[in-house]
Amino acid sequence: MNNRERILAVFNYQGYDRLPLVHFGYWTETLFQWAEEGHITLEEARAWADGNAIDLAITKKLGFDFNWACASFGANASLHPPFEWKILEVLPDGSRKVVNGNGVVILEKDGTQGIPPEVDHLLKGRREWEESFLPRLRFSPDRLWDASERIQAVRSGEWQLPVQLWCGSLYGSLRDWLGMVNSAYLQADDPVLFDEMIQCLGHLVYECVQATLDHIPADTVPDYAHFWEDICFKSGPLISPRVFREKVGPHYRRITDLLGKRGIHLISVDCDGKIDALIPTWLENGVNVMFPIEVGTWQASIAPWREKYGRELRGVGGMDKKVFALDYAAVRAEVERLRPLVELGGYLPCPDHRLPPDAKWENVQYYCEHMRKVFG
Amino acid sequence: METLIKEIYQGIMDGQHKDVEARVQSALQAGVSPKALLEEGMIAAMAEVGRLFEAGEYYVPEMLVSARAMQTGLAILKPHLKDADIKAAGRVAIGTVKGDLHDIGKNLVAMMLEGAGFEIVDLGTDVSPEKFAEAARDVNLVALSALLTTTMPNMKAIIEAVHAAIADRKVKVIIGGAPVTEAFARQIGADGYAPDASRAVSVAKSLLA
Repeated sequence: MNNRERILAVFNYQGYDRLPLVHFGYWTETLFQWAEEGHITLEEARAWADGNAIDLAITKKLGFDFNWACASFGANASLHPPFEWKILEVLPDGSRKVVNGNGVVILEKDGTQGIPPEVDHLLKGRREWEESFLPRLRFSPDRLWDASERIQAVRSGEWQLPVQLWCGSLYGSLRDWLGMVNSAYLQADDPVLFDEMIQCLGHLVYECVQATLDHIPADTVPDYAHFWEDICFKSGPLISPRVFREKVGPHYRRITDLLGKRGIHLISVDCDGKIDALIPTWLENGVNVMFPIEVGTWQASIAPWREKYGRELRGVGGMDKKVFALDYAAVRAEVERLRPLVELGGYLPCPDHRLPPDAKWENVQYYCEHMRKVFG
Repeated sequence: METLIKEIYQGIMDGQHKDVEARVQSALQAGVSPKALLEEGMIAAMAEVGRLFEAGEYYVPEMLVSARAMQTGLAILKPHLKDADIKAAGRVAIGTVKGDLHDIGKNLVAMMLEGAGFEIVDLGTDVSPEKFAEAARDVNLVALSALLTTTMPNMKAIIEAVHAAIADRKVKVIIGGAPVTEAFARQIGADGYAPDASRAVSVAKSLLA
């Protein structure tokens, strides 16, 4: 079996020869840490990107099969063109306020790690929405990714990994553009505009998915479709589940129906944080694979969800990456915790997000070795 | 007068900040006591918001708009509180730890604590142990936030710096943030841990009781 066949077997509760080993990439800081330690080169740390040749090389070196973050077909279902990245201000301590492609002002500061925090947002209300965002959210054919090489590779059988159709985001992008605080205020202050924004994004994503499907030959069926949201944190969702169900749910349904007509029935969503309160809306509207099942302090696991929702709910993720900062014993214990979850079927372990800089190279390698011993 | 207090309470529950602003002004003009406005109108409303959040009926957006309504009303009320000699529930220095620039969680906790009658000294983000220790001299409670597993270890150094600065341990330290757990709080000698902004209020109150 190749990895594509194995993944489909996992998700369809069928037999497979061995469990594929997947990861979800690394923080930039992690790559530079590993370069400093001599595991990879500095050039590799600088030039790494999901799915590129360097990613393939590091994947192999560590012992994984492939990087799960690998879309084959899709379109830019977000701001097009993006805002120009620009330094707005350099502060006395050397930190920089920078406006990024999403129109979000972030604070870059040397010596700090992780995703830069947001300090302001260009999108504040109707004026900015209509003048600067709406024009960037109209569908145009140039949004489509060039899929010609991938189509050929899939049709010839040369491509042996799962074929993903990238859908985009139905709310997470909006939350990014507005910011968490202003998205909350907007719901209360201008519910009409809030609705318009969700409708706009929903229609754009639909058109992008439609165009992507039209672009792929009828005999080339993607294995799964994938959304991104990131709208939860450790205590639950950053949007009321009622609002999510009423306003965003119908857009999911419309798109998953479209995908279903094309034979795509595995639909995944990438949402960090504690997602439990939003799972019903996703499942009701055709989204049936949860990713990355961030374990977090809330101890997320596919087991209770499977018990509650049945076999329709699948998952990828749920491997607690924090053990990579510890030792081999911790890694073994984590693999043992995953054993009964894998036995449930419909579930593929994967580190529950990109590996942070405290992940020790040798622990990640050991994880891969031990997983192969346990799961074949 | 009771009607006005009830309307302020409901305005905060519903996140209607402009209504709350107008009603606080009307209530003060009508001679409603600032203490009653604060305690029965505002703090009581925010306590109910916190309860509804913990019960899974309110979520972060509802908490934010209610907190905004409360803060809007409080801005009108504050000058009158000094005259009324109302004591704050406590004084809290809050910040995100060194190396971490994320402030959303910290800001939400600050809003909820202010909503419960605490005075807030917001130290911002990327705050050094030294700065926390200096702030600790003037407060009852220090609240630390961290979003990243890689900055979480800095909490221990901050607790040590605070304890060194305030040797009699009268200043309490609570911690919270995405990767933080109760076990970690115990391990590093924090006095309390809060899993979310609403519970930060109850933890703060219990530590200062």
